[in-house]
Amino acid sequence: MSQHDTVNYEAVLSKFREDPFTYVDIHAMHTGQIRFHVHEGDQVEGLTGDFRHIKGTLLCELTRERNQKPIHCTTKGEVSFVNKDLDGKFVQAGEKIMTIRHPLKKREIIEQILRKVLVPFAAPEKAKYYFAMDIQSRIEKFGQRSVSVKAGDELFTMSLMKRDTPVFYAGESGLIHSVYFKQGQSMEQGEPLVGICPPEKIAVVEKVITRVKAEWE
Amino acid sequence: MKAKVLIANRGEIAIRIATACEDLGHDFIMIYTDADKDSEHVRRYADGSGKEQKVWRISSYTDPNEILSIADHTSCTAIHPGYGFFSEDYRFARRVTIRDRPLIFIGPKWEVIRDLGDKINTKKVANELGIPTIPGTSAPIYNEMEAESVAAKLLNEQLEQGITEPSILVKAAAGGGGMGIEEVRRIEQFRRTYREVKNYAKRQFGDGGVLIETCLRDYNHLEVQLLCSQHGEQLHFGTRNCTIQSTGRQKRLEAAPGFDDSCFDYAFDSKEVLAQVIDYSLKLAAHVHYDNVGTWEWIVARNGQPYLLEVNTRIQVENDVSARISFYKNKQPNLLREQIRVALGEKIGYSQRKVVFKGACIEFRIVAEDTSRDFAPWIGKITRFEFPKHDWSAVYTQVPSDRTYDIPSDFDPNLALALVWGDSIAQAKERGRAFLKEVSIQGETSSGEPMMTNLQYLNDNIERLLTF
Repeated sequence: MSQHDTVNYEAVLSKFREDPFTYVDIHAMHTGQIRFHVHEGDQVEGLTGDFRHIKGTLLCELTRERNQKPIHCTTKGEVSFVNKDLDGKFVQAGEKIMTIRHPLKKREIIEQILRKVLVPFAAPEKAKYYFAMDIQSRIEKFGQRSVSVKAGDELFTMSLMKRDTPVFYAGESGLIHSVYFKQGQSMEQGEPLVGICPPEKIAVVEKVITRVKAEWE
Repeated sequence: MKAKVLIANRGEIAIRIATACEDLGHDFIMIYTDADKDSEHVRRYADGSGKEQKVWRISSYTDPNEILSIADHTSCTAIHPGYGFFSEDYRFARRVTIRDRPLIFIGPKWEVIRDLGDKINTKKVANELGIPTIPGTSAPIYNEMEAESVAAKLLNEQLEQGITEPSILVKAAAGGGGMGIEEVRRIEQFRRTYREVKNYAKRQFGDGGVLIETCLRDYNHLEVQLLCSQHGEQLHFGTRNCTIQSTGRQKRLEAAPGFDDSCFDYAFDSKEVLAQVIDYSLKLAAHVHYDNVGTWEWIVARNGQPYLLEVNTRIQVENDVSARISFYKNKQPNLLREQIRVALGEKIGYSQRKVVFKGACIEFRIVAEDTSRDFAPWIGKITRFEFPKHDWSAVYTQVPSDRTYDIPSDFDPNLALALVWGDSIAQAKERGRAFLKEVSIQGETSSGEPMMTNLQYLNDNIERLLTF
């Protein structure tokens, strides 16, 4: 029996019950003059629509050289903090501007628990990562959870210091169950990029999903 | 006129520009991204706040909106693009200079950047002036039959010149940086290669145009350093040799002057050829009314025939190599200071005959890389960085000497530029070896593996690399 079969579901779920939220900090993505469009306590929407094509609530606008950059909310929740002192000021990229309190959904709780169950494949270096061309085309064609990998497969292209280097998978064979990175985003060394589900863990994964769906309101 | 210059660059060049501004009595503003927060170009100037704030964080060095909004917010009057990023982007230069609040772009006029930035146009203008360029097409070809006929002609010409293994290069016209270039040695191979390059060019650059040129096998790659002003003055600061870059390896070493008879037994009069490429460069500069620093790049075949390759309309990394062999009033000029002065409208103020050339200079690029593994970049933390100080050497670096430094993974792994000079190339080489031995760099990866640099490689290969 795998060690992950011994997940203490009651303890994990009660932890989520105590604080069923995640707190998403929003940072200025550019340097420019900021104008807020929400206040603390406001309810905000993330992307909606059948194709997630409707933008979320307008949180603020950054004006850079007369070009306005609207910043829309990407997650549903409540505005729990706004750095009001910055309103109308010139802010630098990366400055924290607000926090959204986001109520966790079943899917997100499942994903968090599965992080402890799945086999992670970590970033070998601090770099930007892309799926290898073959993997990417298979994901596009069949969906990520239908793509299996085995040791030695070229899984990623690592873009480091303007050089592209192939990254080969080393670990248990299985399906790409979860993807923890955005293509082209800089990832720290050791951060998990994907969670692989070996065949023998499919039952555990299904158990987690069933349990959370049944017990989480 | 006191200027306030926004330095739209990073690392060692940002520090060199800031120093040049200080020397000239101008104020400046630095920018940086999060990846560079530990760089010396940030830490050295990060003390001020409020109106005294000199260092501003941005999301990217290539976001013109942010750069210009900081320039306006901090009341800058000029922008220095350094090298790379926006330095040869005529659209950016135009946007900087043509706006409600115009700024001075420290570089050539945007029209000149546009005209010389286009290799095909440069070749056309050069040919009109009788300046030799590499034999081949002067405009993109889209027709396979026409392309094959050009290819056959170039291969036959080489055979007639007694070249036993002729070859041509098929290039994506819209490409750059070595992408989309294939070699063809026999005409039977041509159609297949042409289609491959055309498809690649269409996919990557949205334009299937192809250029065909004679492939030169054994040659020298020279650079001519020019300084021109808005008042019609044109000066040169000699030639440099960067052949190593052109023969497959990354640029790690460069030397001035462009030829030295002690390095190779040339089959031609090297001084005459150097004078010829300088004359051609000045001729083209005068024709296009060039008005800032620039580098004219040349290929010189083993028979001494020069061909203009391209013009770099910016300050180059290695500008100081030229400056260290040039003397005005017995002092080596600072080309960054000269560049800022002429961009602000000043005259150069001295003539060519006042510039005296003396000795030789070598520049080493000290890079974190594994030379035994195809020069793969090394990434980790530098814990110690020390280099000797001599009156015949200079070091430009963004690596701090008083604290640890994480090499950012977003950029080239260049750590420092080290220049050594002497009365002759032999003395410069000897000093170079001594200098490299005294440099101390230590560091480790997160898993505790020791740092790798190209110091030993450079030291072991000076003689071979400088056989040009």
